Amino acid sequence: MSDDPYKILGVSKAATQDEIKKAYRKLAKKLHPDLHPGDAGKQAEFQAVTAANDLIGDPEKRRRFDAGEIDASGQERQERQYYHQYAEQDAGRRYDSGVDRGNFDDASDIFSELFGRRQGSGGHQEEFHARGQDVRYHIDVDFLDAARGAKRSVTMPDGKGIEITIPRGVKDGQSLRLRGKGGPGYGQGPAGDAFVTVSVRPHPVFVQDGINIEVELPITFDEAVLGTKVEVPTIEGAVVMTLPKGVSSGHRMRLKGKGIAGGDQFVRLRIVLPEKIDKRMEELAAGWREHASFDPRKELRRNT
Amino acid sequence: MSFDERTVVGQVRRVSLKELRIWVREGWVRPAQSDRGPIFDEVDIARVRLLCDLKKDMSLPTDALPVVLSLMDHLHQTRRELRALTAALDTQPEDVRRTVVTRFHDIHNGVNDTDNEG
Repeated sequence: MSDDPYKILGVSKAATQDEIKKAYRKLAKKLHPDLHPGDAGKQAEFQAVTAANDLIGDPEKRRRFDAGEIDASGQERQERQYYHQYAEQDAGRRYDSGVDRGNFDDASDIFSELFGRRQGSGGHQEEFHARGQDVRYHIDVDFLDAARGAKRSVTMPDGKGIEITIPRGVKDGQSLRLRGKGGPGYGQGPAGDAFVTVSVRPHPVFVQDGINIEVELPITFDEAVLGTKVEVPTIEGAVVMTLPKGVSSGHRMRLKGKGIAGGDQFVRLRIVLPEKIDKRMEELAAGWREHASFDPRKELRRNT
Repeated sequence: MSFDERTVVGQVRRVSLKELRIWVREGWVRPAQSDRGPIFDEVDIARVRLLCDLKKDMSLPTDALPVVLSLMDHLHQTRRELRALTAALDTQPEDVRRTVVTRFHDIHNGVNDTDNEG
């Protein structure tokens, strides 16, 4: 069995935390050992699925795993990543030998065609055609530009300026391929491609989770008790949200469609007390304590 | 993950900024370009480490480096192409795969058997 947690859960590397959770639940239901007593294979699979979820179901562990800091068993990864481990992946293409890729004079047509090494046609063997070089470019974009989409002009290494359309909801580290925007082809060969890697600068307020956005909204205790209308920032500007009466810290409210490209924005409430508690507030609390019988820790005690 | 020149030099202590720039100019390391200078990723950093190994641990002379790199790059390219070919074959029906494997062995072992081409 593979030890890649993404493969084990059957999700893509770009899956949102929600998708991972769903995939895990589905597999856990199917493989739970209590539903297959005596089936050692299913039990081992269940354990692998649980371990995979422990790793990539946790955003922080997932980030460290993706960055290669910890391995699939959650251990700190000490060993060095050797070049050949990358060279054999797609990313290694940037170090391909380019125009002088091998001369397959003796190769059959199908092989030449497969690897794009066809040398002209109709017996013009000495003519040389090859695809142009790919070029790579890196841009930094602000979170809001990434969330809303934007246009950006950049100067490529060869001095040519091109306009890049940053698609709505582009992810940090995502690579955009601009066909034919790389180096010019040789002979009748097509131009190479430009690969633009996008770095998204994090935003101090908006936190992205897939197509959803999460925002923490500080509120006062009186707003929490009495309810009110508050202004909430969204990526498209501030909107007014109605706080119902009696909301607690940690309560999450949803602003439908206010996320990225059709996602939602979640507003997590946080009740904040003033830095200095004045006399009136103290009296208010003391008065409330006298007659209230509310115990917020009842559940906690019952479950421990 | 993206790193600028100084971060690379900080991470790979065996390379100096001056050396790194020479390697980039020679095309041995090919970072992405950006408004704030060259940007390296994990592939480039692994390559920088490899260059350090070749040049420092194995004391390969500078003239020999491009030769070794070019051979190595060809090898990796060929392996990637071969893997893509294998992956393409994997999607074929069983009998097609068998035929290809049999013919491959014949040709590879120098058996010139053309019977089944009638």
